[in-house]
Amino acid sequence: MKFSEKQIKLILLMLSAIVVFLIPVFIKNQGYIQIFIVVMFFMYIATAWNFVGGFAGVLPLGNAAFIAIGAYTSTILFVQYGISPWVGMLAGGIISAIIGIIIGLPTFKLRGAYFALATIAFGEGIKVLFQNIDKIGSVNVGGARGILISYSGDSFANFQWVSRIPYYYIILVMLIILLAITVFLMNSKMGYYLIAGGEDPEAAASLGVNVAKYKLIAMALSAFFTAIAGTFYAQWILYILPKSVGSIDLSFEIAFIAIIGGRGTIIGPILGALLLKPLGELTRTYLGGALPGLHLFILGLILVLVMIYQPRGIQEVLTKIFNRFVKKMVTIKRS
Amino acid sequence: MGSAILNGILMGSIYGLTAVGLTLIFGVLKVINFAQGAFLMSGLFATYWFVKFTGTNPYLALVVVVPFTYFMGYYIQKFLIKPVFESEKDVREPIGVIIVTTGIWYMLDNLALMLFGAQYRTINVPSVSKAISIFGLYAPLSKIIGFFISITVSGLLFWFLKYSKMGKAIRATSQDREAASLMGINQYKIYNVTFGIGTAICGIAGAVLLPFYYVYPTVGMHLDIMDFVIVVLGGLGSIPGALVGGLIIGLIESVGSQFIAYSWTIEVIYIIFLIILFVKPSGLFGVKGEF
Amino acid sequence: MCKLNWFKFSFSLMLFFFVTLFSGAFVNSANAQKKEVVIGNILPLSGPSASAGVEGKKMREFIVKQFNANGGFECKGELNGAKIKMIYLDTKSNPTVGVTDVQQLINGDNVDLITGAWNSGVTYPASQVAEMHKVPFVVPVSVMDRITGRGFKYLFRIAAKDSWWTRDQFRFIDYLAKKTNKKIKTLGLVYINNDFGKSFDDSWLKLAKQHGYKVILNESYAETATDLTPVVLKIKSAKPQILLVVSDAADAILLQNTMANYDVRPWAVISSGGGQADPAFIKNTGKNADYLFDMSEWAPDMNKPGLKELNKKFKKAYGIDVNGETMDAYVGMHTIIAVLKKTCSTNPDKFRKEMLRSKLSTGPFTVMSYPYVKFDKDGQNVDAGLILVQVRKVGNKYERVTVWPEEDARAGFKVVFPQPNHY
Repeated sequence: MKFSEKQIKLILLMLSAIVVFLIPVFIKNQGYIQIFIVVMFFMYIATAWNFVGGFAGVLPLGNAAFIAIGAYTSTILFVQYGISPWVGMLAGGIISAIIGIIIGLPTFKLRGAYFALATIAFGEGIKVLFQNIDKIGSVNVGGARGILISYSGDSFANFQWVSRIPYYYIILVMLIILLAITVFLMNSKMGYYLIAGGEDPEAAASLGVNVAKYKLIAMALSAFFTAIAGTFYAQWILYILPKSVGSIDLSFEIAFIAIIGGRGTIIGPILGALLLKPLGELTRTYLGGALPGLHLFILGLILVLVMIYQPRGIQEVLTKIFNRFVKKMVTIKRS
Repeated sequence: MGSAILNGILMGSIYGLTAVGLTLIFGVLKVINFAQGAFLMSGLFATYWFVKFTGTNPYLALVVVVPFTYFMGYYIQKFLIKPVFESEKDVREPIGVIIVTTGIWYMLDNLALMLFGAQYRTINVPSVSKAISIFGLYAPLSKIIGFFISITVSGLLFWFLKYSKMGKAIRATSQDREAASLMGINQYKIYNVTFGIGTAICGIAGAVLLPFYYVYPTVGMHLDIMDFVIVVLGGLGSIPGALVGGLIIGLIESVGSQFIAYSWTIEVIYIIFLIILFVKPSGLFGVKGEF
Repeated sequence: MCKLNWFKFSFSLMLFFFVTLFSGAFVNSANAQKKEVVIGNILPLSGPSASAGVEGKKMREFIVKQFNANGGFECKGELNGAKIKMIYLDTKSNPTVGVTDVQQLINGDNVDLITGAWNSGVTYPASQVAEMHKVPFVVPVSVMDRITGRGFKYLFRIAAKDSWWTRDQFRFIDYLAKKTNKKIKTLGLVYINNDFGKSFDDSWLKLAKQHGYKVILNESYAETATDLTPVVLKIKSAKPQILLVVSDAADAILLQNTMANYDVRPWAVISSGGGQADPAFIKNTGKNADYLFDMSEWAPDMNKPGLKELNKKFKKAYGIDVNGETMDAYVGMHTIIAVLKKTCSTNPDKFRKEMLRSKLSTGPFTVMSYPYVKFDKDGQNVDAGLILVQVRKVGNKYERVTVWPEEDARAGFKVVFPQPNHY
């Protein structure tokens, strides 16, 4: 039998997809499932960040605001009006996309550092807003108290389960859909325009590409998908607090994961989350109790080292190794 | 009300001082230094330990704190930031440096946590902490001293950049890297020195803050975002701009809070910040075309 | 670049697969032994509340070490001879991390029960996860009202809830007025804008109405505030007679020092056991905190049998005195141990039954400020009592001196109200 490189890669993809889907069947320990969910959650939000942060070539540092908007929209609708979080998820996504466009219109005129700072201010501004508003009319926002979603039994309509396994599959499916959309978009006209606009806006504009329009579309998509993750978060943790869903730490973490992995590549956010999150969990669990601060120190060190030695993120070197591996497989089969 | 305005001006000038280092580093290296808060924390801790060990005045600590923070900045730039700079030379939007400074921020904060523990520390200097009356308005002497130090340091820095040889080299580099290096200026040397000066100013700000503030490992975080707002308000890279930006923030916080709840003033600050960014992104004193 | 992406994706999935294999190997080796009681502790070991978490951890270690050295459980049943194994996880004061911790403890480490989490904002969602899995959750510290009363069966709170704290604060204000024959009319409320401060403020506003006081200042400040002078100036111009305060940590120091520097002295300042209870507070305010009232569940100067000896041993082992923070951990651990001794089983339903039946008052429980630990059907410790301490100069140092209720007051000390040189 003879396989081409492409076929081998396809087979590997299928194999790993099967494995990922079967993980909950083999691993009964829900603590590990929880870690997988954390990892996939960050893969997802970092991929959504990548629309703007990677392909459009700017540095947004306020994406937690969209998570907060998504989480609050669906939670308020669910807790106060009994509307299923699945509907709320969509509503939150749409509201978030609209806000994304509104905020994107002026911010995309800014460049580099100014864009990053504007998004920080936007993110913090949204958090402070949620912290200070108790009520809008009869709508209870909860202010700094946060909102608890009470557990009322396993239910698909209510997006609640004791077991972690449904959450595992939901975030997995969300991730796959988002990746598929990313791959599709990046191979479309829009993807090329977006990347061209990100790399050299003047040149792209002179070729007649409406850079601003594509950036706005990217922003809307990014905001929409990030907000959906917010709803997932709310139903998964069952408690939202401005400090936890809207924090600047979260905004930074999203960006770091994508950048360490390799921004502007589809695989980057995936690899970034795969490296940083389990590492973070392990160091926090095993070292955090003994020497508080060590785990974050190590994170800082990794950021510095990766940026010095692998400025394009770890995807570059890993992809090379992978391609070499595939090539070898091809030659083995042939001989 | 008068005291609130006075407090706003004094605090504003001190906020301005904490932001001067940030704006200087941006002006020359075109990098937002996210480790700014961590450098402030280092300055605060350095002052704290100096006062603890010698039992003297925090303002005397400047003798030790300024060289310490200067060399800290100098070598951090030389060994950690420069390599990224070089590898990103041709990149249009260099963000690697931002990430590196963030990494440095995490490292410094948590190093302090491991070395000194999480507790809050203050120094007690009764001679300067009491509020005194000036024409019927009240303010603690420590803040008044802080105000004068802020003005003096910014003035000196301004003068240094304008008239000294090194200052001229720094300005040349900030305006045109290539031209400056063609004229025989060692670009990276200038960066090291600028970074050193920027962090040394954080050290000074630490000595100014400590008498009425406190220090713990993540104390810089609160001032970090505030400083970003200040430098953009004033215009990234502009030293008088940082002071004016600081004054605006200080006044909104202090005077605004006499009319609305204090926890809302920060929202007002963000909104004004965003409006300025959208309407006049170069800030009040910024150079056009850099944003 | 884009053509390769599918393949990169597949590569990452492969990596994922390997990680899984490794973790799977861990799982199988994890549950080998079962002659011990595994207790999960979630505490803020880094981040803003780290000092409280670290102190509580020390006391827990102290108790468990002693308990295991003495041979562990001696009882008739499955636990006979079993020792206690403690697992500590850091919450960083972050609810998300706390919930993840509980998931990890229950599903990964198979803990028999959980205790923690110090921050109300973490305990609130984290306890729901424990309840969903029917794992008992013992809460020694978090005061937020809403933690109990959710119909949970396996949640037990030893701490008094915040409505009791505020209730007793108002009882104390009434007491002050009656005792000194001063007319108290106006109140000022200042709180940190988070879940802790907000829930106190809610009940203060209600109580002020009931008790007939006028709230003339109701001010919150952000957790990230760097300068509290504006708040102090507002207090100065409003001049409330009594100032009620909730602060979290460093802000307590900043507020107290700024008030002293601006000579803002109401008749009395009454704080709520947050940042003011941290030992760092007195260290960093000293004279500036003179005559401050703080509400507390416990104070070291109470005359309780066995306390001196406990303090001596603990100080020898860890170099710090027993304080409110460590005492909460102390009562929590001893409650768990006492009840497990009786059930001699880790069955959660037996644990609940015994928790509700017990009234713990002897042995290690004599050093508490209230006579016994007993839970109602909501899992709330029914008579968790509260005391008021006043910061006073003793010798040449400032100390927290118990002044109320009168019967618990330190010998030779009476409430000073209004404070000298008030406005």
